Formats: sequence, structure tokens, C-alpha cells
Amino acid sequence: MIERDLSCEEVLRHLAEYLDRELTPGERAQVEEHLRTCERCAREHRFERAVVDEMRAKLREVEMPGDLVARIRRTLALES
Amino acid sequence: MTDTDEVHPGHAPSLAPMTGTPAADRCTDAEFEQLLGEGVEPAYRLALRLTGNRQDAEDLVQDTALRAYRFRSSFARGSSFRSWFYRILLNGFYTSWRRRRNEASMDELEDAHDLYLYLRSSEAGMLGPDSTPLADTLSRMTTDQVASALDALPDEFRTACTLYFMEDLSYQEIAESLGVPVGTVRSRLHRGRRMLQKRLWKLACELGIVGAAHEEVKR
Repeated sequence: MIERDLSCEEVLRHLAEYLDRELTPGERAQVEEHLRTCERCAREHRFERAVVDEMRAKLREVEMPGDLVARIRRTLALES
Repeated sequence: MTDTDEVHPGHAPSLAPMTGTPAADRCTDAEFEQLLGEGVEPAYRLALRLTGNRQDAEDLVQDTALRAYRFRSSFARGSSFRSWFYRILLNGFYTSWRRRRNEASMDELEDAHDLYLYLRSSEAGMLGPDSTPLADTLSRMTTDQVASALDALPDEFRTACTLYFMEDLSYQEIAESLGVPVGTVRSRLHRGRRMLQKRLWKLACELGIVGAAHEEVKR
């Protein structure tokens, strides 16, 4: 548990876990407090957030074959 | 299927049902089919990233669904269906579908550091009005180009990162899918994301995206 004001280096070390919502509520609050007061770290956070969001958006641009679920159901029906 | 067997190339842990799942904790067939129906689309996206082509992705998902159905008694109601299903999918992928890939060497990727894209964008003068580096390098790439960068990572990092980016899974769910501790997931994502940023920057330079974006900022 992080118990004092964070340095920029500490925020950077925890940035990925902060983005991924993997910090405890207390840790999260400390990172957010630092981001409120440190413009440099806030810029880095916004950039990393945008990169993750863009990666997700790009990689999820996939259209599943419309009949795949139906085909699977038919296969399972035969199995049972 | 044991919880301690890691999913990785060359090793396909047994999918024998966990006879310890009490009957009261098992899904009914109707519940299972609902979970399966909801899970097909995200599984297809994952399978497509892993196999690299639509036909193999369809085959992998169908095979996974069949295995999951046969071993549905090993799934405990209330636990993460996605983690359980993805674990079966990954086992199947490494057993039957793993393809030869142009995997970048660890030397090429290993020295990537934190904030790689941010720092490179700053150095290249790709700054927005508030002097923030432009984060739109990726938006100028196609899905296939972005996917190729992910595809170039060494297997253990690629799988963890693929699960991370494709699905909004927690570290715990990724760990369950891979059969590894949460700490291992944290480490692989940390290193994998740094490698990925380095790969993306290299790709952006090769595609001429960096130069084009810089010219637009200057105007």
C-alpha cells in the first residue's frame, strides 16, 4: 500500500496498473491526487490512455461470420 | 483441467473434467448455452488474432465450443466463463493451430522502456497545441498493421497482450486463462506493452506515418 505523497517516478511505475484499474482504492486515490497536481504526469497519463484505447478499438474491428453461432449450435445439437 | 498448468506452446494440459465440481455449482445446459452464445464473438476475435486467418479462427472457435460443451461439468457457476473458455481455446490453439510467425527477436524489442511512444513522439516534434505529444499515430494505421505489431511479439508476451487488448479482462482473469500467477501476468503485460510500443513506432516510421504527422503539425 502506498502511504504518502507519490513522486513522479512512483506514479510512472504504477501508471499501467492505474490504467488497468488494478490498484487498491487508496493507491488509486494517491495516483489521482498526483495527476491533479502534476501536469507532466497528467500529460503522460492521457497519452498512455489514448494509446490503450486506440489499440483496443483497432483490434476489435472484427466482424464475425453471421452464421457462426448457428453452426456451433448445430454441432452441439448433434453432440447431444 | 488443472489450475496450475500453464498454457504455452508445446504443452496441452489435460482437459479431463474436474470431478470435484459439485453438481449444485454446475450450470444447467440452458445456462451453459447462453454463456457460450455470448462468448462466441469475443472468442472469434481472439482466435482471429491468434491464427491470422478467418477460416482457422472459425475452426478454432468451433473446436473450442465443442470441447467446452463436452467438459461443461468442469465449469463452476459464478466463476469467469471467459477465462475458462479462453483457456480451452488457447490450449487448442497451441496444440493444433500454432503457425509459423515472423517473430521479432528479443534483442530487437527488449530494450524498450516506459513511455516509449510518448518520448519518441516528442522527439519527432509531433506535438499538439498544448505541447502534448500526438497520440494519433495508431489512428493512422490500419487494423492489420496494428495487429502485425502485436503478432511480432514473442509468444508469452503476445498471448498476454492479446487477451489484454482484445477483451477487458482483469489481471486475475488473464492469469486464469493462461494458467499462471497474477504476478506473471503483470510482468508479461508490462514488458509486452513496452515491446509493442517500440514495434509500433518502428512500423510507423517504416510506413511514413511519423514524417507525415510531423508535417501536418508544422502547418
